[in-house]
Amino acid sequence: MSRRGSYAQVASGNTGSIQTNPAPSRWGTFSHLSNSGSNPHSASHPRHSRPNDADGHHNSMSTSLGRSGPLPSYTSQFGYLNGYGGAHDGPTASAFFVPSYLRGSKHAEKLEEVHRARAAAQREHRSTHSSHAGSLSTSSSSVNLHKMSSAHRGLSHEVIERAPVFVEEPVAPWPMRWNDTDKFPQVEIEDGGRQAKFAGAQKTHDEAASVRADYPMPRQCGIYYYEVTVISKGKDGRMIGVGFSGPKVPLNRIPGWEPDSYAYHGDDGQCFSNTTSGKSYGPKFGTLDVIGCGINFRTNTAFFTKNGQFLKTAFRDLKPNVPYYPTVGMKKSNETLRANFGQEPFAFDIDKMVQAEKGTIQAEITRAKGPYKEVSTDETQFIHTLIGQYLAHDGYVDTARAFAEEVGDEVKALANDEDADIPYLDTEEDIDATQRQKIRAAILDGDIDKALKHTTAYYPTVLRDNENIYFKLRCRKFIEMIRKCNELKEHMHPIPTPPSKRSTASNNANNTNRNSTATDEYDFEMELDEQLGVHNGAPWEADEEEDDEDIEDKEAKHLDMESKTIAYGQELQAEFLNDPRREVKKALEDTFALIAYENVRESTLAPLLETSGRMPVAEELNSAILVSLGKSSSAALERLVQQTEALVNELADDGGPGAFINVRRDFLQ
Amino acid sequence: MSSSTVSVSAATPTQHHFQRKVDDIKPSKTDINFVVMDYLISEGYPRAAEKFAKEANIQLPLEEESIQSRVEIRCAIHAGDIDTAINKINDLNPQILDTDPALHFALLRLQLIELIRKCTSTPSTDITPALNFASSQLAPRAATNPDFLKDLELTMSLLIFLPADTLQPQLAVLLQPTLRRQVASKVNEAILTSMGCRGEARMRGLVRLRLWAERKAREAGKDLPPSLPLGLQDGEGQQNGNGEPADIMVQ
Repeated sequence: MSRRGSYAQVASGNTGSIQTNPAPSRWGTFSHLSNSGSNPHSASHPRHSRPNDADGHHNSMSTSLGRSGPLPSYTSQFGYLNGYGGAHDGPTASAFFVPSYLRGSKHAEKLEEVHRARAAAQREHRSTHSSHAGSLSTSSSSVNLHKMSSAHRGLSHEVIERAPVFVEEPVAPWPMRWNDTDKFPQVEIEDGGRQAKFAGAQKTHDEAASVRADYPMPRQCGIYYYEVTVISKGKDGRMIGVGFSGPKVPLNRIPGWEPDSYAYHGDDGQCFSNTTSGKSYGPKFGTLDVIGCGINFRTNTAFFTKNGQFLKTAFRDLKPNVPYYPTVGMKKSNETLRANFGQEPFAFDIDKMVQAEKGTIQAEITRAKGPYKEVSTDETQFIHTLIGQYLAHDGYVDTARAFAEEVGDEVKALANDEDADIPYLDTEEDIDATQRQKIRAAILDGDIDKALKHTTAYYPTVLRDNENIYFKLRCRKFIEMIRKCNELKEHMHPIPTPPSKRSTASNNANNTNRNSTATDEYDFEMELDEQLGVHNGAPWEADEEEDDEDIEDKEAKHLDMESKTIAYGQELQAEFLNDPRREVKKALEDTFALIAYENVRESTLAPLLETSGRMPVAEELNSAILVSLGKSSSAALERLVQQTEALVNELADDGGPGAFINVRRDFLQ
Repeated sequence: MSSSTVSVSAATPTQHHFQRKVDDIKPSKTDINFVVMDYLISEGYPRAAEKFAKEANIQLPLEEESIQSRVEIRCAIHAGDIDTAINKINDLNPQILDTDPALHFALLRLQLIELIRKCTSTPSTDITPALNFASSQLAPRAATNPDFLKDLELTMSLLIFLPADTLQPQLAVLLQPTLRRQVASKVNEAILTSMGCRGEARMRGLVRLRLWAERKAREAGKDLPPSLPLGLQDGEGQQNGNGEPADIMVQ
């Protein structure tokens, strides 16, 4: 026990130091082992953002970047990180929200991911600090780990459940507040950015005080909508303008009068676009009226609502390349407007409008018909070809056969009076598919040796040509051995060992502290060497036997397994010792760190042990075998999904119909 | 999520930037397996579904009781045995046909076509059974709906032309197996909907979305490669890029 304790200390100390290091590749090589959902860079991305999180130059940064060109600020590299800043504001402003009509949309999902990743990064940041501190203290960190198990479990789940964040394309945030630095000087921003009040003296005829929101309305939303409540009309209150404007429109004018600005005015009920001459549009509005403003980016039109009533389309032919910021303008002292960017339910049923828009597009999609050239002109036949190819490609041999038979029966039944011999599914036995299925099954069962043996026998070049896969398989084998050890141990200790038993761990505290302060990963590896070599002997066994004598048999098995694991670890270490690749080093470190934990399942490394980590390795090997056979590495169905998502993304970026489609949610689940 | 880092395509320097975006998307195997399983279950391929659950190590969707009946009904319609199909549908849930007159009419019309087919195939040419069936079963329904009436008239005109080597296209389709397949799949959808399931398999929506999205993107002048092959032909992998017209979904 005491020995194990020391390993845990060492590992946690080192793990801590690795975590503070913002190296992006920590999970990189091993993401295939964690969870199917994690992108190699997703876990590391938040670490990059950390230095920027604390950055208080939210507005100055976003505005300066935003005004630098025709593109909104989020296209810059860091702009999007500031969207959730608000560190200088009250808590209401920094709270993330999704406007009701955007829930479930692809764009909202992307923003939520960014938000979650950021929140997780902050949590991780804090927890890293605390665990690091713990390992440096004289108390045994194995005890700490035990106590903190639940917290750690929560964290690790967070890490593995996080959906991939694609950092290459920053996600455009939606407006969240009035912008403190993009306003006429005498406009005061109150209530966490929601309220704008004109605190200056009354303006002359052609002057006004305007303020823009912090972000433009994202075209990717398809439809964007916000509402403004007139809290108090100024004395003789008149001239309130609600609308939107480009980033460069002067703020000493009421929106609607300048080029690239559009608004609905309360004093006369007219709407203005780009000029001082309006056109009659709707009723006048004043105190306590709720005015809504929306843009449909698919049709490039804008509309307004008053107190929940849709008025009519106000503007057409909006420019597709101008970022439009929600904008309000006032003329009289003390006029106050309160915005709802989606933090609260809207007065107008915008959800219904968005649903209707989605319905229109869905109907259009449903009407889409082939032909599916050459393969077939018939949708059903095309789908059958896709499925048949997918099943064969991915090595689902039995399914492919059963499917071909059932489809064959169907075709025969249909063609009862004609020549029944028209099977369009290739039912020939694919010997490769059978072998690939065997290899996959072995990996999914955790029997890596069998998979390696079969692969070497059937496809001798594959492992040679794909050293990274070979390496992953070898690592996976080590992980499977650790899993086995854990299982055996769980049988031995059905009840968790009370912390008191580990008191002996403190014997090694000095030793451990020296080790855990080791800063460089090379030291860590040397140390692992030392541990794996030196401690692989009698003292360990003696400790274990002291613990429990009733279950010697199981214990013996466990020890046997453990020493085999260690021996294998050394072998693995020796084989890849001189591998210069950074990701290989990292992966080795992570893998070897597993052995240091008393109970890996409660450590931050737990995701590595998940059986779900088998699937990606299996798929990768399957793809490599296919490539070696001169076949495509992904099935046609997979490519179809890829192409579909990419096409829909293209159609969403400029607010086109793709903005109303969430491929995964609407079509894959 | 396939974390495949084996990227054959990376070696192709002149790759279209859209192709890179496509490659960057990593569809999750779980999702794809779901779509496949959903298709097998809702379109009625129980043996394949069972094998797939085993091989892909996924849960067979909650034993969906109707699958066997749905397969039998489909077989009956495909084989032209509409009587059996209608009985089985009513065994399952008599409401289905009662609440969907169009579907019921489509089935009865299919039955009429089978009768006409039968009585015109023999030289004796006794068309009485077909006439009786039409007047007793279809005519009362057609009286209430102009669309039904049009369909009935068209169907009855088969009696005049058959047997014939060449038929007008709108008559020829009535004798094609595709019509049976269409009706069978409508019946299947109706049964599923009546049980509170999604009527149509996800796969169909997905395939249409793919078609629609490419069409829209090309209309909008997006920068796309001239063709987006799926690689349905063996050996035609990413290496040879876009060439083979064999598997392109065209507009």
